[in-house]
Amino acid sequence: MKRSGTRKWLAMLMAAMLLALTACGGGGKNNGGANGAGENGGQAGNSSGNAASGGGSKVELTLWNIWTDPSAEHQSSLKQVETFMEEHPDIVIKQQNIPHDQYKVKVKAQAAGRELPDLIQVWPGAELAPLVEGGLLQPIDDIVSHWDGLVISEYLKDYSVDGKVYAIPAQVVPTHVIYYDKDQLAEVGYETFPATYEEFKAMILKLKEKGLIPITLGNKGQWVLQSCYISTIGDRLTGSDFLNAVLYTGERKFTDPEFIRALEIIKELVDIGAFNEDFNSIDNDQQREYFINGEAAMMIDGSWGLGPVLDAAPDKNIGVAVFPAVEGGLGDPSAVSVVSGMGIAINANLTGEKLEAAKTFLKGFYTEEYFKEMLKASILVPAEIEAPAEVSPVLMEVKELASKKVAPVYDATLPPEVTDVINAGLQELSIGLVTPEELAKRLQDAVDKQKQAA
Amino acid sequence: MAAQSADARNRAARKRKLAWRTFVYLVLILYAAINVYPIIWMALNSFKTNAEFSRNPFGLPKTFHLDNYRIAWETARLEVYFFNSLFVAVAAVILTVLFGALAAFVFARFPFKWGNGVYWYFVLGMLIPIHATLVPMFIQERELGLLNTYAGIILPYIAFNLPVTVFILTSFMKSFSKDIEESAVMDGCGVFRVFWKIILPMSGPALATVVILNFINNWNEFSFALVLINEESLKTLPLGLANFSGQFTTNYGAQMAGLTLAILPVIIIYLFLEKYVVKGMTAGAVKG
Amino acid sequence: MHLYTRSKGPFLAALAPAVIVYTLFAIIPIFVSFYYSLVEWNGFTDMKFVGLANFAEAFGDKIFWHSFVNNLYVVAASVFGQVPIALFFALLLNRKLKGSKFFRTVGFLPVVISTVVVSLVWGMIFNVRRGLINQLLSAVGLEELRQNWLGDPKLAMIAVCITIIWQFIGLYLIIFLAALQNIPGEIDDAARIDGATGLKQTIHITLPMIRDTLVVAVILCISGSLRTFDLIYVMTSGGPGHATEVLATYMFDKTFSSTRYGYGSAISVCIFFFSLALIGLSNLLLRRRAF
Repeated sequence: MKRSGTRKWLAMLMAAMLLALTACGGGGKNNGGANGAGENGGQAGNSSGNAASGGGSKVELTLWNIWTDPSAEHQSSLKQVETFMEEHPDIVIKQQNIPHDQYKVKVKAQAAGRELPDLIQVWPGAELAPLVEGGLLQPIDDIVSHWDGLVISEYLKDYSVDGKVYAIPAQVVPTHVIYYDKDQLAEVGYETFPATYEEFKAMILKLKEKGLIPITLGNKGQWVLQSCYISTIGDRLTGSDFLNAVLYTGERKFTDPEFIRALEIIKELVDIGAFNEDFNSIDNDQQREYFINGEAAMMIDGSWGLGPVLDAAPDKNIGVAVFPAVEGGLGDPSAVSVVSGMGIAINANLTGEKLEAAKTFLKGFYTEEYFKEMLKASILVPAEIEAPAEVSPVLMEVKELASKKVAPVYDATLPPEVTDVINAGLQELSIGLVTPEELAKRLQDAVDKQKQAA
Repeated sequence: MAAQSADARNRAARKRKLAWRTFVYLVLILYAAINVYPIIWMALNSFKTNAEFSRNPFGLPKTFHLDNYRIAWETARLEVYFFNSLFVAVAAVILTVLFGALAAFVFARFPFKWGNGVYWYFVLGMLIPIHATLVPMFIQERELGLLNTYAGIILPYIAFNLPVTVFILTSFMKSFSKDIEESAVMDGCGVFRVFWKIILPMSGPALATVVILNFINNWNEFSFALVLINEESLKTLPLGLANFSGQFTTNYGAQMAGLTLAILPVIIIYLFLEKYVVKGMTAGAVKG
Repeated sequence: MHLYTRSKGPFLAALAPAVIVYTLFAIIPIFVSFYYSLVEWNGFTDMKFVGLANFAEAFGDKIFWHSFVNNLYVVAASVFGQVPIALFFALLLNRKLKGSKFFRTVGFLPVVISTVVVSLVWGMIFNVRRGLINQLLSAVGLEELRQNWLGDPKLAMIAVCITIIWQFIGLYLIIFLAALQNIPGEIDDAARIDGATGLKQTIHITLPMIRDTLVVAVILCISGSLRTFDLIYVMTSGGPGHATEVLATYMFDKTFSSTRYGYGSAISVCIFFFSLALIGLSNLLLRRRAF
């Protein structure tokens, strides 16, 4: 009697487990062939395999991007996809919108499992290269001519690997702009922005005396001092071919005195109290607040910082400038670190009908109208087009600044591991845990190690 | 004389008791204040615009900006994600607690040869950050065809919550007096009957505890959901709540509104189960 | 007990579901990630087997050891902060006390609150410019004690530990409360008749009765502390300058930012063995010790 009782329980348990599993599996509503727990594994869920279920002659493409917030930039991108689908009823774009930080994790995890979507938003340079190297993307050289006369070819460089183009950019992003409150600078006697670093420092001291935060900074995320500061300040000292010379020819090194001087400038700025005290415990988006509410006279940020400031303080009398000339520097004092952005690449697995549809999508997505929408959202574009009337004049000034001479952005150029070293290292430098010389050596060691491994 | 001194002693005792009581309440009130503050802060800021949030993060909102809740609802896609989360969390909780209780029952009541070994086997799963398993889990589920299914996230949730569940339940079930089931077995009850009729009802407080803990873990779980789910219709709430911070901007007001909505179910479940956690209390309570 | 030994079937059946799901969806992925610790892999191109090179690198990596020490601080904060405080409040709230339901609920709240809110609120409390602590210090004339809590590498870890303690007291509070329900009323009464009151009763009678739960709590503390990630990642991102880096945040950055899956996995294998060692050690200590 006991034995049969046991068996009954066992059976019930198994049944319960099965029920639970199938219930869960069956719950996956519209997911093509991806359920059927375990039975038909293998091809299920393959990025190019799970679309065909749509029926008819419609082609379905999956697209991943980071358009999650209500900003004009993201909303107009979403609208552009809608418009495309209206114009191309035979192509269905199925999107996943994932916020930036999480997007990067997800893409890396899925790339490791070789399961990327058909169309994927990618970042240029150092982030694009490994995806190409891993054979996950395919070049689009055969359609690049479609944008002749619209997209300035110089900006395709960031989205090229080994001479092949993988995406069309929709944005030009200067990562270094000094935004300043003209009135506050005038109050301490500066009608024009200082032209030399020494004068700049003198101004900082005067602003500080007035009880203002000279420059607002939020470096908790560690990339700000690198992307918005050292990318341009470094260029002032080293010139624009420095990073390539360090990484590829080995003719120059991070331990060169010019680069060490650039690091010293960061340290000097910290030491003379140029920044808000909490600069290592607030974020890039929080740094903006001190500028918006007038506590800080200057803000060094990328072009992305402008839109939110204009939204929050439309009446502020904003001037823009770039880091002034530094004595002994080898670089052009008007150079600004700039990188392209908002490119969408095509999965290497796409062929035939789907590949054609993907190319049609790119052609239909990157249009002059879209670029105009970007400008309206206070974002610069890689095209020479007439700006719509409502575009802020400040944005046009930023454009002016950024178009003189382009310097590379460090995190778009350095291998990710070296970027990690410099990000953390600049923060350590800012709190005195490491000297400029030590940091320079650490960076060079990281580069040497990369070279050895390659 | 003797009566007087007894009286004085009484009075002194009462005074001591009063002092103790005052102290206890002071400590409790302080503790409560520190704990409640963040929730109040979150709720208040859920009514502020972004500009007001940055200018005045500590004060009361000037006007109650209810629009944040609408934005939060849309940005976090609550109408879909909320119910997915509820389903996933509840299903995982039920299965985890059922499986965990059965296992704990064996560990606690029947010391068999490999019992200790199997018990410690469950420790292993608690010793590794789940981020280390994201890629292996992704590849494994791709092979099993579990990506993009409810089962695909419920099963890892069960697996990674089993250790805590088993531990708490085992330690609880161990403390029952040993002859409880002996008599039951004498009466001819099978093992599972003992479990169902005797052990499970006695484990009320511990079961309530693990249900609460499991629910919170599943409700907030982010990484597996991020990597294992691609389908909009299957995504869970934490993925939606992440939508408030973009690359360069964060919509704090709406974020606080979304987070306020998201903790309501947890608090409701807690309030509902809390009475079971302290069920046995009344019998043996001593006055403070 | 022996009444059951006649048939093993029911026990196996009772253990099976937990063991099967756990093995398939926790142990197997964990062991696969152990394998990754032996390769060099960026997740995009092919894996390269490198033997123990990742471990050799980790053992020579200053940040790795620094992170481990920070983990030990978190362990200490949890074991000697969370557990005693939670136990204190559990014992207090286990009595008939006016409003104890309210205090129990409130005590649990921090566990429920989103990590984002916790780090925002505590970030503001510790903020150097307009934070609550510094404002309080100024208000009472202790201007010179104002600190850059989160910006000073010597203090940042303290600020983080305080926040972590606060965040998880509620977790242990509820576990202890549940365990205390198991103490039958007669024992309490017997103790009172014997004249054992207050502290004495707690130490000699109550604590031994929930000893298993205390051991479980300590194990949870250790394993939780060595994996601690969310709060630190959101509150300080491991900074300033690795000052609050812990193994899990370091592992995450190495894996998903530097895209070195091999090295990241090696760190998580180390987390695994460090926890195992600490749990073994604490288990020895707790077993031996008689309350």
